[in-house]
Amino acid sequence: MRTRLGWTHGVFIAASLVLIFLSVRATGADFGETAQFFVRGSLGGPAAWTRTLKEFLPLLMLGTAVLVALRAGLFNIGADGQFTVGALGAAVVVLRLGGASGMLLGLAAGLAFGALWALPAGWIRAYRGGHEVISTIMLNNIARLLTLYLVKGPIKDPDQQGQTTATFPTSTSLPEITLPSGTLVTSGLVVGLLVVVGFWIWERRTVAGYELNLVGANPTAASVAGVSAKRVKLGAMLASGAVAGLAGAIFVLGHEHRFYANLSPGYGFDALGVAMLAVSGVPALVPAALAFAVISTGTASIQTLGVPRGLSGVILGLTLLGVAAVAGARKRIAHE
Amino acid sequence: MTVELHDITVRFGDVVALDGVSFVADQGKIHALVGENGAGKTTLMRVLYGAVVPDAGTIHVAGSRVSFRNSGEAIAAGIGMVSQHYSVIPELTCLENLILGAEPGWALHRGATIQRARELAAKMGYEFDWAASADRLGPAGSQKLEILKLLWRGSRTMILDEPTAMLSPADSEGLFQSLRSLADQGATVIVVTHRLPEVLQHCEQVTVLRGGKQVGAQPVKNLEAASLAELIVGQQVQARNHGSAIPGEPVLEVVGLRAKGYRGDWAVDGADLTLHEGEMVGLAGVDGNGQRELFHALVGTLPSEGTIRFRDEDWSGQGTARRIADGLRLVPEDRHEEGAVDSWSLVENSILGLQRCPGPARAAWLDRTQATAIAQRVTERFATRHGGLDYPISSLSGGNQQRFVAARALEMSPKLVLAFQPSRGLDIRGSEDVFAAIRSECRAGATALIASFDLDELLSQCDRVVVMSRGKIVAPPRGAEMDRSAIGKLMTEVE
Amino acid sequence: MNDLLLLLGSTVVLGSPLVLAAMGGLLSERSGVMNIALEGKMLAAACLTAVVSSSTGNPWAGVAAGVAASVTLSLVHALVTQHFKADHIVSGMGINALAAGGTSLLVKGVFDREGAAAPVFLPVAAYWVTALVAVLYLVWYLTRTRGGIRLMAVGNSPSKSRQMGLDPLRIRIVSLLAAGLLCGLGGCLIASNAGSFTDGMTSGRGFIALAALILGGWRPLPALAGCLAFGMTEALQLQLQGTLLLGVAIPTEAWNALPYLATLVALLFRKGRGGGPASLGVN
Repeated sequence: MRTRLGWTHGVFIAASLVLIFLSVRATGADFGETAQFFVRGSLGGPAAWTRTLKEFLPLLMLGTAVLVALRAGLFNIGADGQFTVGALGAAVVVLRLGGASGMLLGLAAGLAFGALWALPAGWIRAYRGGHEVISTIMLNNIARLLTLYLVKGPIKDPDQQGQTTATFPTSTSLPEITLPSGTLVTSGLVVGLLVVVGFWIWERRTVAGYELNLVGANPTAASVAGVSAKRVKLGAMLASGAVAGLAGAIFVLGHEHRFYANLSPGYGFDALGVAMLAVSGVPALVPAALAFAVISTGTASIQTLGVPRGLSGVILGLTLLGVAAVAGARKRIAHE
Repeated sequence: MTVELHDITVRFGDVVALDGVSFVADQGKIHALVGENGAGKTTLMRVLYGAVVPDAGTIHVAGSRVSFRNSGEAIAAGIGMVSQHYSVIPELTCLENLILGAEPGWALHRGATIQRARELAAKMGYEFDWAASADRLGPAGSQKLEILKLLWRGSRTMILDEPTAMLSPADSEGLFQSLRSLADQGATVIVVTHRLPEVLQHCEQVTVLRGGKQVGAQPVKNLEAASLAELIVGQQVQARNHGSAIPGEPVLEVVGLRAKGYRGDWAVDGADLTLHEGEMVGLAGVDGNGQRELFHALVGTLPSEGTIRFRDEDWSGQGTARRIADGLRLVPEDRHEEGAVDSWSLVENSILGLQRCPGPARAAWLDRTQATAIAQRVTERFATRHGGLDYPISSLSGGNQQRFVAARALEMSPKLVLAFQPSRGLDIRGSEDVFAAIRSECRAGATALIASFDLDELLSQCDRVVVMSRGKIVAPPRGAEMDRSAIGKLMTEVE
Repeated sequence: MNDLLLLLGSTVVLGSPLVLAAMGGLLSERSGVMNIALEGKMLAAACLTAVVSSSTGNPWAGVAAGVAASVTLSLVHALVTQHFKADHIVSGMGINALAAGGTSLLVKGVFDREGAAAPVFLPVAAYWVTALVAVLYLVWYLTRTRGGIRLMAVGNSPSKSRQMGLDPLRIRIVSLLAAGLLCGLGGCLIASNAGSFTDGMTSGRGFIALAALILGGWRPLPALAGCLAFGMTEALQLQLQGTLLLGVAIPTEAWNALPYLATLVALLFRKGRGGGPASLGVN
């Protein structure tokens, strides 16, 4: 599609880059050294790749979740809460039921809990007209407080100091795969990639995928074409929540092997950026999620130089603003 | 004060909307600006109102040269405009609407302001509950409020764009009485309309636009309806005979249909209609008599009461999807809002509404090859000019988009074609083609209902014409099914 | 009796920042700009107030810096949503992320500590008065002044407002800047209440203020009531900590979740916009 980008867009993006540069300089760190540490810490060698791919998977899946809802014209700001509640569901199951069946049921529970946590937002949007952004912000905070309460008391492991459950039985862990390069990944990565590919094919090849996009692009035309925007929106929100919940389940079953307070460092919000970068097409989710994962592990590794993790927030914020500005120009063209 | 526009030219991209148009309206008179849809009437008035900056030409108000960069400057020069879609904001009170943009001061003295509003309304013989929310005003109330808004701003030149479009005949009559008294007090009144009786009865001067050019400006006195009509359309309108249909069995039976309009009134209020197999029926009527709501009720996008039966199927309880599966096809009124996704390709748009029909759909899957074939047929039917089937529909010109949307409604064996102003934005050739195609589908066993505000178009294209008036459907008497004056009487409620 | 006075006192203390932010949100949302960035603006203000007043020793400089930070973010918000026509939700999230990251970077990276501590602040009562005056002023402003009527008109229909000769863009920018000012004061107050800045210290108060605004139907007095109610739940929680209520110990988290739950329940039962501006979030 054509975009009409003015010089102001260029100035805005250049100013963002300068701001990032200045942020690093202001901490007193040497920029060249910082860049070197950044790249080495995120992409230099199997250990770095292991860390980056661990970040990549939740970002990819939550990005997919946000994009599913976005296709129906909905902003699922609640992916973070659905992720957390999905992880909680998986944790509760595998702490009671070990073995492969526990693992599979745990994944299913993640899916179900995530969808359940998205249900009020979807229903309010479809049948009450309340904005999903508001309801999902509320649901995120409720999820955070609910899980905090649970890991402080009811499901806390009494033998541990921190606010955490016991470690899951090893029989419930998702199998790990060692890539030829020596990078260690969870088999959950395969599930995540399958979800992305599945959504891509489904969106392009099925009637339901066509109708999902139709509702997001033009709800009036959708109703004239015999599509119930309400039902599609509710369904999109549930599917979005299910994918986010599954991501949470995979995160605890594949990586953490326990559930603890503030499990997500804000994956759901990074995912909004991932999805915004991928509105042009589902495959773009992969490089977008990878970029955010690299930023996340990269900023983690430059902490030793005295550059705080806050830098990743600055980068995320400027990315969201920049992407929204460019998307705004695109929308204006479509309206002309 | 007299307003003069000379040699005004306005281009929108490649389209020349106004081509060297001149227009003069004298003080103290009601001036009519007439022309077909798309002749450039509204654009010309928006130039005078400062909402469109012309590419060339001059504007004089009361003898002195002016140039407006925005509406604020035009308002300051004493020019006011009531657009076709009222600018009343329903969430504000009547008083707030009245003074919006022309508040008497930084702080609002309610009592004094209401007093002034009352006096102003009394001058026109109007009455308002000023503290009430404006969402309860009907069309006539909104129109009155719009006129008061002009007076509040001290407008000496008043432009009204299609002011009677939403009004009942009685309210229209009242409106023109108000306009007459304003003119008598020295205002310059300009009425944009396509209704000739209003021009002949109430106006003193008339300017005619056709295709963006001024083709006539003269006093109304001594002017005859027929010659004015000829000026507008450019040639004598004559009914053509397309060979009448042999109507078959009744297929669509609508009994006692009621549906609410967006203002909450019963816009469709006990409509009865029977359509037979093979016939092409025109739905005439003044805009705003429930045609839109009737269409939406038939499509199933507006909740309705009463019965709709189609070929032994009870549609009343069925949704839009079911009706489409039964053969319903729609050429919607607003193709941007209802008939297309602007950013989507022609292929994607070609199956919009047909996405569940066997062909483009195989069970739950979409057949892209089939969709491309449909897009190919759709673009070829009316020779839609396009840059490629993968280009977005927004890359097409307005007329070509209309061709596309109309052609799509004839795909996948239509049984009932509902078309709302199908010739909108089309040239004469294009609209002939569209009507001919619909007719041939009807001869092959389909049925069509075509709504238009252009009676002559319906008379020349359809097998018979019915009239929608105040939410009901009335048919001309037997033997006068295609009698222009009989139908015109039904439209204007002349007994 | 003493307990009750204490409760009312803490309600005012804890509710005032919410009131200031909610009134800022009201101005911006009434003009049609959806403002989920209240949180980030308050956080930036809290941070800058603490950092500048502790390094200069001048409370006025601190407040000025805090308000300037919030207003600057509002300017960015206005630039992105109005000039670039960006989506209001995405840009709001962007500002929140920018503020969260930027303040953390500033405090930890530039000043190399966990928080900016022991600053000198203005007496907090000054903020309470400002909050109350803001509410009362807005009540009058929205219905009894030229600016208020124009604000409501633009939020409901920018296109019709333009037809009436208004300049929607200017009205929205001014509203956003005013929102930045009020949010900034709210952030300064949060830092004053705590006596220092800690990372992420607004902890969702911007969203609670937004919730109160929505629950209150975008009207000043009901929004004020909502803010005070939410302030009171926080105060009750502090006061009742550890004690039993009807024989049950109510966990802190349940108290904290109350504003969010109340908003969710209200959304479940309310139909339509609930009195919100018709063109909220529309460019």
